[in-house]
Amino acid sequence: MEKKIKCKKCGEITTISVNPGETITVNCPSCHAIGKITFEKTKSDILEEKTVKISNLSKKYKDILALDNISFDIKKGEIFGYIGPNGAGKTTTIKILVGLLNKTSGQVFINNYEMPEQKSQAHKFIGYLPQKVAFQQWRTLNHALTTFGKLSGMEKISIQPRINELLEIMELTKYKNKKIIQLSGGTIQKVGIIQAILHNPSLIILDEPLDGLDPESRYKVKQIFKDLSKNGTTVFFSSHILSDVEDVATKICILDWGRVLKIGTLNELKTEFVKEKQIEIILSKKSDKFKEISKLAGVQNVLEKSYEKFLINIDNTFSYDEVIHNIIKILLKNECHIRSINPITPSLDEVYQYYLRKGGKK
Amino acid sequence: MSFSLIFKDELMGFYKSKAMIFLWIGLPLLAILVHVSSQSADMSLSILVSLVVSSIGGLLASVMLTVNIINEKDTKVYDLFLIRPLKRWHILISKFLAVYICVSIACIIAILIGLLVDYTESQMAFDIIVQNIYEPFIMTLSIIAISSAIGVLIGVVAPSILVGVLLVIFGGNYVSSIPSIIPFVFNIENPFTIVLILGIIITTVLMALSILLFNKKEF
Repeated sequence: MEKKIKCKKCGEITTISVNPGETITVNCPSCHAIGKITFEKTKSDILEEKTVKISNLSKKYKDILALDNISFDIKKGEIFGYIGPNGAGKTTTIKILVGLLNKTSGQVFINNYEMPEQKSQAHKFIGYLPQKVAFQQWRTLNHALTTFGKLSGMEKISIQPRINELLEIMELTKYKNKKIIQLSGGTIQKVGIIQAILHNPSLIILDEPLDGLDPESRYKVKQIFKDLSKNGTTVFFSSHILSDVEDVATKICILDWGRVLKIGTLNELKTEFVKEKQIEIILSKKSDKFKEISKLAGVQNVLEKSYEKFLINIDNTFSYDEVIHNIIKILLKNECHIRSINPITPSLDEVYQYYLRKGGKK
Repeated sequence: MSFSLIFKDELMGFYKSKAMIFLWIGLPLLAILVHVSSQSADMSLSILVSLVVSSIGGLLASVMLTVNIINEKDTKVYDLFLIRPLKRWHILISKFLAVYICVSIACIIAILIGLLVDYTESQMAFDIIVQNIYEPFIMTLSIIAISSAIGVLIGVVAPSILVGVLLVIFGGNYVSSIPSIIPFVFNIENPFTIVLILGIIITTVLMALSILLFNKKEF
């Protein structure tokens, strides 16, 4: 961006080009005085900061095109859910992101460092959990975590307290001095999550982190993601458990056949899917007068799902709130006993199936 | 910092491993067994032991490294190391050094037992015995170094443990004996200096090739 600065010595105003947060040396064109200036980041700069930037990324394995020109950005603090069927290209994207695989074409940036060319710098910001996490089996849990803490550049003094804190959260303290070979699959998965967040990285990339975890642990891990996001950490994770993605992701990307089918918040994803609004009404006692609401303006049709359960489709051109108000009025007037009225919104599962059917297969 | 940390960890991992415990105990035991069964009057026990243990120790070093690297590659153990600010060659060099040091020490212990037996049973002066084993000692260390480097290289390139072990047994052994054959085939003066030089050169080339391939590898 362009900024105007005034020379302290001669008062000359110069226009310079600078990035937020950057420190530059400026030479006054008039008096030739030299000075250093740092441009502080504004709140909007921070919000717009992109932790991950992927442009036209493609990956070919011999004749198979695993990723076909995909592009997306992930902003600081976002929880990015990456979903798609088996073989869609999720793990390939993740491995290219962390520098374990080479790209065929395109660009990948992590905190403005290009991968894989600048991976030694980018790796300082990354925490990673592979799809199948494994540790050298002769190590104890504590030894493995200590080594990874040191390799990630943590201060020696802060490693042990941080390990203890995370073991406590994940309820693994009793396994601290057990050898990895003695741990169950779920416990190893939890250790994998701990090593990924141990050094407080600004970007956490996790490949199916909730697989193999019991419901309680899954809840805890999702809570950790939310807390990390609140503190500005970006979380990128792939998953097949769509309810978990729905619970935590602030942005969702649907991938199939190596192509991005849809990207956006859950509401944005639903917008295209939802052609008409639906409400479900349950009566405590069946009433024949119920069908009178089908005569109301804005009500497209009334479907009887079961004895006392009805599904009402509302025309999108009418005011949703007004139509519901009229429906309640009619029901009360006809002395229908209402147990509940609920708006029906599609689940991520339905949205996901819709986009796969729409644009997935080649 | 990261290299010394990885090296220390690998050393700890190998010296406590079952294979190394077998070597720590097995090779000195082998020296005693050779002494009991040996009928050769022409060759001192220390020289005989050094020849036997160098070939067994070398083979075990290469098998251990091959199996370890392929196993860790297959189970994706390296993923967690490679996404941290760590040079890939640190992993290979630290494994090579850890196994080389452990196997060499086990061989040295076995040779020292032979030396002790020679000293107590023969009438030769101690310094003459030491002088006699100096050259086989160099050969032993050279063979183990080359075997270890072959183990690393095969570990990096082999697609499975079975293929890796077969390559080590049927190929690696021949390569590791090259430096000990060449000087004698060509009747070179000062053969053990050549053995040492060839040992260093072949080990360096094999390790450089392993590092080059490991750096290009996708995980």
